[in-house]
Amino acid sequence: MWDRVRNWLDVRIGINDLVEEEVRAYRVPKNINIFYTLGVVTIAGYLIQVITGILLLIYYVPHPDHAFQSVQGIMNKVPFGWLFRQMHVMGSNLLIGVVFAHMLTVFLMGNYKRPRELTWIVGALLLFVSVAFGFSGYLLPWTQLSYWATTVATAIPTAVPYMGDLVANVLRGGESVTGATLSRFFAFHISILPPIFLMLLGLHLFLTKRIGISGTPFGLSAEEKRPWTEYHKKNHPDGYPYYPRFFQKDLFMVMVYLAVMFFLITFAPNLFFPGDATMPADPYRTPASIRPEWYLLAPYQMLKIIPNKFLGVIIQVALFVLFLFWPFFDTEKEKNIMKRPFLRGMFLAAFALWVILMFWGRS
Amino acid sequence: MRSLVLSLLLIAGLPGISSAGYREDFAREFMSKTWSGERIEENACIDCHASERMKPVFREIVDEWRKSWHAQNDITCHDCHGGDPKDPSLAMSHQQRGFIGVPPYAKIPDLCGRCHVGILRYFNESGHGKALRTSGKGPHCVVCHGSHNIQKANIEIISEQRCSKCHTYGRAQDMKQAMFLVEKKITEIEDGIKALRRAGIYPEEQEQAFFSTQAEFRTLFHTVDVNLVKERTGEYTRKLDDIEKGISGTFADLRSRKNFSGFLMLLVSGMGVVMLLLSKTPKE
Ligand code: HEC
Ligand code: HEC
Ligand code: HEC
Ligand code: HEC
Ligand code: HEC
Repeated sequence: MWDRVRNWLDVRIGINDLVEEEVRAYRVPKNINIFYTLGVVTIAGYLIQVITGILLLIYYVPHPDHAFQSVQGIMNKVPFGWLFRQMHVMGSNLLIGVVFAHMLTVFLMGNYKRPRELTWIVGALLLFVSVAFGFSGYLLPWTQLSYWATTVATAIPTAVPYMGDLVANVLRGGESVTGATLSRFFAFHISILPPIFLMLLGLHLFLTKRIGISGTPFGLSAEEKRPWTEYHKKNHPDGYPYYPRFFQKDLFMVMVYLAVMFFLITFAPNLFFPGDATMPADPYRTPASIRPEWYLLAPYQMLKIIPNKFLGVIIQVALFVLFLFWPFFDTEKEKNIMKRPFLRGMFLAAFALWVILMFWGRS
Repeated sequence: MRSLVLSLLLIAGLPGISSAGYREDFAREFMSKTWSGERIEENACIDCHASERMKPVFREIVDEWRKSWHAQNDITCHDCHGGDPKDPSLAMSHQQRGFIGVPPYAKIPDLCGRCHVGILRYFNESGHGKALRTSGKGPHCVVCHGSHNIQKANIEIISEQRCSKCHTYGRAQDMKQAMFLVEKKITEIEDGIKALRRAGIYPEEQEQAFFSTQAEFRTLFHTVDVNLVKERTGEYTRKLDDIEKGISGTFADLRSRKNFSGFLMLLVSGMGVVMLLLSKTPKE
């Protein structure tokens, strides 16, 4: 029976070749490490967001009068609604953490270098899309926390002269955060971002597949230094097959991701629900402390401490451009960051600054 | 390539730096002002009464009021005293703007009773209300609650210091004892609701039932009729018991959720260990 199905499929889509080529013959470099699983973990994390997100979508009502109620209904009335909501909320935060970690390890191993510049840029855009997902989803429960965090965050563009107000008004659909903003963010979250995300992800995977996985800079890396002027796929005849060994490692890390998620749901269910997150949004009452999501804290704090806001925004845009096009700024051939003390120093300084700003922004 | 990008950045950045002085007001306000845009209103009463022109005893009134539960519920000067907070020159005009000012001692319950209708009714029928009307000796609302720094009420208002001014404390104590059972339940439920909120649950149904039951009971106090309060204690404990049951049911729910997600955690951890072992076994 199974053979017949398989044969039927093979005639039509060539499944045997596909499996042979993509699964059995596909080899990964020998010195690959566990950080190479983070890409797959990200995809798995996104899959969980999609599934739980669709389940939430069934019960959620995107209207200022009902949004809070409907989310409370999901938490307290819908069978297992609490689980989906918790998974979605924990997942959104963990996911951004994993994407950060993925980029960080790629950065540290110098794997963004020629010919993988495009892969990096698309990856950076994916990080941006992930943050946009988080940012737009944050408003949807329509709590005090989400309402005021969004109010503050959508005020940031107004620091830009001439255009700023326009941008902020387009974001909010008006002068302040209202039902119009909720509709906008909802549409953005469930129907504008997903196709953009899928396109970028497709491109990202296509590029990794086409160019082949790079080896780590540690140990045998001489081959990576050759100039790349013409295409040839990098495969690793001496590496080990992706399936089953590395596939199992991938699954292992996905399980770790899930275990962390359920650990948090079990032992810290309110990690992302502080007091203001259990109060319905009230435009007339400003809570004592307003702060955005943790991954926006550092940029937010930076804006706060730079006395001239416009300058602050310019610096942030410049940093973003630097980050996005980093492979073009860093043209050094050496991949191993251990052999590049200057870059290492800069990186450590930037990282420390990020952490400091983040904790500063919390208080 | 690098120089191209750098010069592009510079070109984009230059006008930015040159117009950096733009919108200093924005810089000042950014993130420090209260964001409730529509709420920035002028209130002439507060402006003038908090200003240096006012004598210090009167100036304190505004500070007192700011701390009050009324202030948090947007009950301001003119809601009690009348007048027009939007027109500084005629704000306190009795004829044109309906300014009431400070009513005489015996009329104060009517001032508060415009909003606290049920309480006024009970109060008027009570020994206190009758005494106030006939001899002017009874206490009025402000004697027990204060006038400007009015906080959420509870049984602690009944104290020896407050209640023994006009009669022996014995009467007050009888009252306090009669209320004790229900008040204790009220505090328990209040704590339960707070704990639920900390656990991320917004128990709307229970909260509403609780608030109305509590308000009813606290209104009843104003009859200062010990027998009546005793008589109805059973009825109130029953109502509060129902609410309490709902709360403990929610807590039980929370515990079973915890067990379930703990189980899922163990499950995926187990699968993770299996995967790890599989990937470590030598192949081919
Ligand atoms: C331009 C200043 C000013 C404004 C505006 C103002 N007041 Fe007054 N208010 C005063 C002064 C001065 C007194 C008298 C203080 C004294 O007796 O020494 C007073 C006294 C009062 C008194 C005590 C009156 C009494 O009979 O003892 C009340 C109550 C009062 N104000 C309420 C209000 C309210 C309510 C508003 C707004 C609708 C208001 N005030 C607006 C200046 C002002
Ligand atoms: C909950 C109702 C209420 C509110 C709100 C309120 N008051 Fe009063 N106020 C009273 C009552 C009752 C009295 C008289 C009893 C007393 O003297 O304490 C009074 C007395 C006063 C007096 C006269 C005090 C004296 O010693 O003669 C002033 C002045 C006054 N209020 C100003 C204000 C101002 C200004 C505000 C707004 C910041 C305000 N009140 C808000 C109820 C209120
Ligand atoms: C303009 C309407 C209004 C007037 C006049 C008014 N109040 Fe209130 N009062 C309110 C509102 C609204 C609340 C808050 C809602 C609540 O907690 O039930 C409140 C709350 C209170 C509370 C706390 C209730 C609680 O839940 O524990 C007390 C005590 C109180 N008022 C006493 C007074 C006294 C005494 C006066 C007269 C000096 C007065 N009020 C006049 C509207 C008013
Ligand atoms: C301003 C004076 C005054 C204060 C203060 C006062 N009372 Fe009274 N109280 C009276 C008067 C007057 C009566 C009715 C006359 C009487 O029966 O002696 C009374 C009667 C009572 C009664 C009996 C009512 C009845 O119908 O039999 C109780 C109970 C009582 N007070 C409780 C209290 C409590 C509790 C407090 C403190 C929160 C308090 N009182 C504060 C003046 C006061
Ligand atoms: C003899 C003192 C006394 C007097 C006079 C008095 N109260 Fe109270 N009031 C109390 C006490 C004590 C409580 C709390 C009762 C309890 O904890 O059950 C209370 C509770 C309240 C509450 C809270 C009810 C709630 O919803 O929780 C309000 C509002 C209130 N009083 C308003 C008034 C008003 C208005 C007047 C004047 C008509 C007045 N009080 C007169 C002692 C007094």
